[in-house]
Amino acid sequence: MSQADPIAFASERRATGRQRRAWHLGDLSESNGWAYYLLIPSLLLVAAVAVYPVGSGVWLSFQRYNLLRAPSPSFIGLGQYDSLWGDSVFWTAARNTLVWVVVGAGSQFLLGLIVALALNRPRMRGLGLLRVGLLLPWLLPTVVAGHMWSLLLDSRLGVVNDLLVRAGILHSYVAWFAQAETAMGAVLLVDLWKNFAFFTLLLLAGLQGIPDELYEAAEVDGANAWYSFWRITLPLLTPVIVASVILRVIGLVNSPDLMIILTHGGPGLATHVLSLLAFNNAYTGFDFGAAAAVATVMLVVLMLFTSAYVRVSGVTRE
Amino acid sequence: MSRSRRRTQQLYDALAYVILICAFVFAVFPIAWTLLTSLKTNADIVTTDIQYLPLHPTFQNYVSLWEQAGFPAMFLNSAIVMLLTVLACLVVGVTGAYSLSRYRFRARGQILLFYLVIRMFPAVLLLLPIFIALRVLGLYDTHLGLALAYTAFLTPVAIWILKGFFDTIPPELEDAARIDGCTRAGAIMRVVLPLARPGVAATAVLIAISAWNEFLFALMLTTSQGIRTWPVGLQLMVGEYQLPWGLLTAGGIISIAPIVLFFVLVQRSLVRGLTLGAVKG
Repeated sequence: MSQADPIAFASERRATGRQRRAWHLGDLSESNGWAYYLLIPSLLLVAAVAVYPVGSGVWLSFQRYNLLRAPSPSFIGLGQYDSLWGDSVFWTAARNTLVWVVVGAGSQFLLGLIVALALNRPRMRGLGLLRVGLLLPWLLPTVVAGHMWSLLLDSRLGVVNDLLVRAGILHSYVAWFAQAETAMGAVLLVDLWKNFAFFTLLLLAGLQGIPDELYEAAEVDGANAWYSFWRITLPLLTPVIVASVILRVIGLVNSPDLMIILTHGGPGLATHVLSLLAFNNAYTGFDFGAAAAVATVMLVVLMLFTSAYVRVSGVTRE
Repeated sequence: MSRSRRRTQQLYDALAYVILICAFVFAVFPIAWTLLTSLKTNADIVTTDIQYLPLHPTFQNYVSLWEQAGFPAMFLNSAIVMLLTVLACLVVGVTGAYSLSRYRFRARGQILLFYLVIRMFPAVLLLLPIFIALRVLGLYDTHLGLALAYTAFLTPVAIWILKGFFDTIPPELEDAARIDGCTRAGAIMRVVLPLARPGVAATAVLIAISAWNEFLFALMLTTSQGIRTWPVGLQLMVGEYQLPWGLLTAGGIISIAPIVLFFVLVQRSLVRGLTLGAVKG
């Protein structure tokens, strides 16, 4: 702001001198709309490939549109939602999604926080190598992560089974992904492995932003570590916690990748979640109307959750 | 007093090491196991007695994977899509982030928030209209179409990270360049971008990794062998050919090798860039 006036003045002077080359990037940068010109490409692109599709996707959910059976869309109002309401598969998937999100985000947050607290001790040595190893799973493709774990947990060749039997914890090998009781837990374990580092990364950044003086002052007043954690660390970390939990919940709700790779929602419906239901409707059923209705429900629930969570946690109050 | 304090600190340090080493083993063991498996012969993988170390270490799995099943072609496809995405994201992201970092204008806050909210949209919901639109435009099942979808997704991320890096560069340096006769665009090219190079590199790597790894869009938006990226190809090979574990693990290791390499190269600035955005955002 402070420099706006001299710049405008200089650019006016220059503009008269170089009118003939107005198309030139350097001259364009001296014009008044420069801040906006820089933004336009990204805004256009995101609007075209993200905002328009969402609007159009929601619109699609009010139509009957099946590439195989009804290849031209016809408006049916809330028809798709009506059939979802009466569909027991939808409700099972909704229940599973709740478990998937609550247990998934909860376990990843806890492990991520513990590791972040342990990493936030700058005097310690050898943290660089540890940190690279800890962050690696988060960077790996889901496809490879999924197959790594389906080998580790394999019912005949799995090393986890072998170790557990050797340790005397199990009597015989378990088909972790193929039993209704263990399948969800096994997929949750894979997601914990893959994504706890996301929390570690963000929470560590938050921890490093807390001034040491606060802890020193608390110590002078006789506070122990437990007390400092609850009274200093957690309150100051709240904005980062809220942001990271929201992002992770969004990720968990929206990505069916691990289910597609590991269980296809099975056995039975044990790991069937809403994102997988939507994806299957579109990818294997070509029923875009039904898929859009499920996805729209997910979007609405996510928006409600996010606004409620932000309000309850009070991060917007400053 | 201070002695007992030092002892508690040492205790905490020890506890921290125990936690970190346990978590490190949890994080790295699956990767190490995959690497070991990829070096085993099939007979050593499919046994009733699990072999922990490769008895007859061999690169045969890698060789046969590379020779069969179009793996090199899929790698090339992934590389093309990745390069297109990184280029587009950087051009669009650098300009957008620079504007949001340097100038204060109406709707600036809303635009920043908007780029955050984009991430809430379910991929599945975006997929359907994008699928339909790409078919209409003739971009369905092309490298360009897939890269376009990735760019739209990753641009907001790139803008947030790059903005964090630009914020740390003092505007006075540009002012000095302008006094010496640079245009604003010239000051960006000659002063800001060279200074922000670690940040731009970190952003490029993050985008590259995301595009390289992406599965869901690639599965939905490509069909032909000539376009298919490796995550989809690998997954379909597992389904269609009952891919043996040796080949599958070799495929996994080859595909993550570039990621590990990239990550180790820019690790420091990548972590810094991600956290800059997080703390301020």
